[in-house]
Amino acid sequence: MNKPNLQVIKYVVKYLGTIVLLASVTLVLKLLEPQLEIQLIALLYLLPVLLSTVLWGLGAGLLSGLLSFLCFNFFFLQPYYTFSVHKNQDVITLFVFLIVVIVMSQLIGQAKSGIQLAKKREWEATKMYELIADLAGMTNEQDILSTLRNKITDTFNFQKVEINTRGFPLEQTDAASLESSQQTLIIPMETRTTEIGEIRLGTSERELTFEEQRLLHAFGYQGALAIERVHLFKNENKARVFEESDKLKTSLLNSISHELRSPLAAIKASISSLRSGAVKWDTTARTDLLATVEEETDQLNLLVGNLLDMSRIEAGALLPKKQWNSISEIISGVFTRLSAQVQKHELVLDLPGTLSLVATDYVMMEQVFTNLISNSVKYAPPGTPIVIRAHNELDALLIQVINQSPPVPEEHLEHIFDKFFRITKSDKVTGTGLGLSICKGIIEAHGGKIWAENTLGGFCFNISLPLTLDGQLPSIPEDASNG
Amino acid sequence: MDKDPLILVVDDEPQILRALKTILSSSRFRVLTATTGEQALALAAAEQPDVIILDLTLPDMDGISVCEQIREWTRTPIIVLSVRDSESDKVAALDKGADDYLTKPFNIQELLARIRVALRHSTQSIGNKETLIQSGALSVDLARHVTLMNGNEVKLTSTEFKLLSYLAANPDRVLTHQAILTHVWGFEESSHLEYLRVYIGQLRKKIELDPDNPKILITDPGVGYRFKTYD
Repeated sequence: MNKPNLQVIKYVVKYLGTIVLLASVTLVLKLLEPQLEIQLIALLYLLPVLLSTVLWGLGAGLLSGLLSFLCFNFFFLQPYYTFSVHKNQDVITLFVFLIVVIVMSQLIGQAKSGIQLAKKREWEATKMYELIADLAGMTNEQDILSTLRNKITDTFNFQKVEINTRGFPLEQTDAASLESSQQTLIIPMETRTTEIGEIRLGTSERELTFEEQRLLHAFGYQGALAIERVHLFKNENKARVFEESDKLKTSLLNSISHELRSPLAAIKASISSLRSGAVKWDTTARTDLLATVEEETDQLNLLVGNLLDMSRIEAGALLPKKQWNSISEIISGVFTRLSAQVQKHELVLDLPGTLSLVATDYVMMEQVFTNLISNSVKYAPPGTPIVIRAHNELDALLIQVINQSPPVPEEHLEHIFDKFFRITKSDKVTGTGLGLSICKGIIEAHGGKIWAENTLGGFCFNISLPLTLDGQLPSIPEDASNG
Repeated sequence: MDKDPLILVVDDEPQILRALKTILSSSRFRVLTATTGEQALALAAAEQPDVIILDLTLPDMDGISVCEQIREWTRTPIIVLSVRDSESDKVAALDKGADDYLTKPFNIQELLARIRVALRHSTQSIGNKETLIQSGALSVDLARHVTLMNGNEVKLTSTEFKLLSYLAANPDRVLTHQAILTHVWGFEESSHLEYLRVYIGQLRKKIELDPDNPKILITDPGVGYRFKTYD
């Protein structure tokens, strides 16, 4: 209700101001008249014309020019207080005055509206720039929509802004329904190729100017472009992931067909020898062949387990069942199980009795230590010890698996946890190249970190596990005796 | 003269059935085989086997529900033998009445040992329960509440003894974490595994020769604990 009145008041101020200004100038000039030449008075009348044009624009300027012309004639040209003129000279003065006033106010008015236009353009350009800068680099459709919405709300004075896109049905600034506003403006959001959606604006104030409408359309276009860019980026990413997983599958197949066939070959050879009646095997030979069969079967079983784990990690389906576990118990369990297989190395356990319990998945952590020890056994020279150490740190448990294998070049240290990464040629060492990447997958699923480093005379795997589960420490029974 | 013990082997893989039949027969067991759940239930009722070896993946029904149905009318020991190696499968099978769980591929010596344990249990449950349980140098007297190592008394707190005696009263059987927590501390459905870890650690320090390489209180990863009496 109030807003249209504001416009009227503005007009009133403009023209009333012009009239008041001219009246006061006329009064002052009339008082000073005895000391002033008639030409000077004409000159001084230019001042209020100039001032009102600058202050209130072309309309006020023209009004002011007309009024000063009349006043000059009425108050200062003889005969006084009539609009008639006696002297020819005065007639010329009067007409020159009129021309000067009109031309001057025209020129000033044009210059002024030129400046205003330039200012508007600058404002438009600034808003556009801000929006583009904000949208640049956004990769989330939701973020883009809310940025666009905020920008529209900041720039224009709409009661309501709604953005409808295919992805997100409704995006709105407030709960006020569109009916309460007097009209709804719809700005399309589309690029040259795709239609993304539309912006619905509830306006209640006034007609939008041409420039404002142009800016709004530009906003819609920029928003549509940003969203299209996100879609394109997503599709490209998807394609890249497919390509990579394809490569991965090929290298996995190559790797496992080798790894599966060698134990199968050994088993087949041993069993068929034993079954053939051609040779009489002595007891030692029989035992050897049978041991080969059993070892290779274990190897195959381990391999299948690794492949299953890897596919679970890849699928993001590795959800550790975190429970309070004693790392010492887990590691000694692994030592006991591996002691039969690890004969060329000495397994050394160096764990203080004061280690905190950590929230881990028992079976997964067993897998981690089994893999790390198997890896150490493969690379460390026979006869050297493999040591597992652990201690409490401020907010983590640090576990180290230390062996005396030759150093790994610094640039490879990070990559040894990648799938199928091998520093040496794969014929020399058995395995799928999955063991360490499984360790990394498991430790990271526990919110921990795993990294490797060269040490003096050896190599060390470090694992750091958080001491808390959901921010909580374990509740140790009160009657438990320590030590 | 007693007949040799009768074992019902339930598995849908003919190769496994053939191998087990050969091995078990040569170990002086009589063997019955079934390839479906229905067949297994019928044979278990008709032939009254002494031990049932049960695969979980059967063509007609899930092994766990076979287990559950058998438990409705008999205490015949059931040893689950499955390729499913997740702890949740193990715990589910044990909760539904299985006595033991082995994953494929398995060591045949281990299977034979578990069968012998199961047979001992089933004969025991008919007669009086043993109250003196031994494992190596350790003996636990359930009736007199005394624990001896090489004849010397081991001082245990009351909670420690409660835990040890529960495990010892079920020798060579896996007791799930939840079963132990419920029995010893009365925790229902709550996972206070930290209690168990702490007390097992303390007990091992008192009764194991090498606590880092336990021979009596054996961890069944992710499932529970076992009081082991045989080597």
